[in-house]
Amino acid sequence: MSAGAASQYIPARARSEVARKAFFYAVIVLVAAIFFVPFIYTLTTSFKTLPDAANVTFLPHPWTTSAWHTIWTQYDFKTYIKNSVFLAVVITVCSIFLSGLGGYAFARLKFPGRELLFLLVLGTLMIPDQLRLIPVFVMLTNWHLIGNFNGYILINLVSAGNLFFMRQYFLTIPKDFEEAAKLDGAGYFKTFWRVMLPLSLPAISALVILQFQGTWNDFFWPLILFGQGNPSHYTIQLGLAELNFQYGVLWPEICAGSIIAILPILAIFVAFQRYFISGVVSAGVKG
Amino acid sequence: MFGVRLREAGWGYGFVAVPIAVFGLFFVYPFGYALYISFFHWGILGKQSAGTGTFNYAKVIHDPVFHTALKNIAEYAVGVVPLTMALGLSLALVINQKIRGRNFFRSAFYFPSIASSVAITTIALYIFNASGLFNHIIGSHTPWFQNAPTVIWAIVGLNSWTSAGTAMLYYLAALQSIPTDVYEAAAVDNTGGWRTFWKITFPLLRPAHFFILVVFGIGALKLFDQAFVVSAGQGGPNYSTYTPVLYIYKEAFTSFDFGVAAAAGTIYFVIIFALTFVARMTVGRQESA
Repeated sequence: MSAGAASQYIPARARSEVARKAFFYAVIVLVAAIFFVPFIYTLTTSFKTLPDAANVTFLPHPWTTSAWHTIWTQYDFKTYIKNSVFLAVVITVCSIFLSGLGGYAFARLKFPGRELLFLLVLGTLMIPDQLRLIPVFVMLTNWHLIGNFNGYILINLVSAGNLFFMRQYFLTIPKDFEEAAKLDGAGYFKTFWRVMLPLSLPAISALVILQFQGTWNDFFWPLILFGQGNPSHYTIQLGLAELNFQYGVLWPEICAGSIIAILPILAIFVAFQRYFISGVVSAGVKG
Repeated sequence: MFGVRLREAGWGYGFVAVPIAVFGLFFVYPFGYALYISFFHWGILGKQSAGTGTFNYAKVIHDPVFHTALKNIAEYAVGVVPLTMALGLSLALVINQKIRGRNFFRSAFYFPSIASSVAITTIALYIFNASGLFNHIIGSHTPWFQNAPTVIWAIVGLNSWTSAGTAMLYYLAALQSIPTDVYEAAAVDNTGGWRTFWKITFPLLRPAHFFILVVFGIGALKLFDQAFVVSAGQGGPNYSTYTPVLYIYKEAFTSFDFGVAAAAGTIYFVIIFALTFVARMTVGRQESA
């Protein structure tokens, strides 16, 4: 557009621009407060005494770490954390490795029935947990895989979503890299391990973070497979729910437990938010 | 040449063997097994009698608790989906401005989406209890999550707050894919901001609206964690937090009637499948046209 036509609008638009900016800042700060206040309030409550937790005040009076001490020693949160970390690490490593391996084969290797098998992978995305629940529970019970971690790890060894995501990423990598590796005499596994995996680091980073978070937060399957009975197998989410049900008025302890259940994910999120956000958007848009 | 191909196929099968075994064993096979179980009296010790029939389906279809669960989830979905979309779109519009610290705010709004549902629900129980922070601010003593008429709406509020950040990310991606010349044309015509939004931005976001509607709609129908934590796994008070997934869970692990649970799972699968199909046929068809 011509400069003359534009200039007659500029003063008015500049003024409305300032008002608009101020409005957006006011809104965003208010909304951010709604997002932050619950977490900060929970954090400060965890440092309160039980009688003080009934007061609607932000700062504890007096400050005490007794709630943290109690959940750590008396309610065995250290075992729950250990269990959660163990499961999240094992499942993340297995799932990403197997998804990568399968995704590579579906993206690059030629074998009879490949398209049919890939259709099966996509089909699993449509079978919901509430339908699988009963048969999987019956099967794992028959195999004595209930009440310990083995059954849970087994059903989470690999996920169709991760495999699909890896396959799509491998398809975007130019074939030149593999051909160079082939010329150097590398076999299929070596090509996958030494060439394709390093090249797909952005995809892997996103999946590692999302899978770790998914397993850490999982409540449904742990509840069903080892959530009844022996607390020595509880994950942090089961432990927190149990604390809630049994001691629903011990607010400082419950707040401390909630903080523990959230904190590792917050730390990972702050460190890797770029991968989180790109992972969610691309998984959502492509998936 | 034949040997090379055979070798490639061999490695291919080897690489997909474990994933295919896991998917076959724990997804495809259970799909059929669930149907099988649903036709028997099936308890904790397995199949109880040789009699087959559709009695489990009849029981679920005539069970007033299942009807309540369907009514609850319908209310919840009708409340939570539009609210999440409206919140998510509003947040996306704010974040899409050229403001300082937008990455920080984007992360802050997204964070509740990835925090543990059990912990978030626990915190909500604390803040919304009868003498909690929220009631203190609005000057009330309503036990929002322990009160049959309010609890499902309390969960609607909680979950739309939690998942608004995810909707925001999807809307942001969609907003950023709208070509800027569309807005330049509107600016030349001196169209106001509000009008530009309703006449241009909102209609151009239709693929995103549809995508988010389907994803969050299906997600809403699977409500479980929050209902379980709020009611200590009981679905109370007075069945107000009973959801279909909680119904399946309780039939299996409180009543130990796996036949009924499998039948309920099958019925609910068909309901969700039909709803998704209808959404694709109506809104989705206009979309691709």
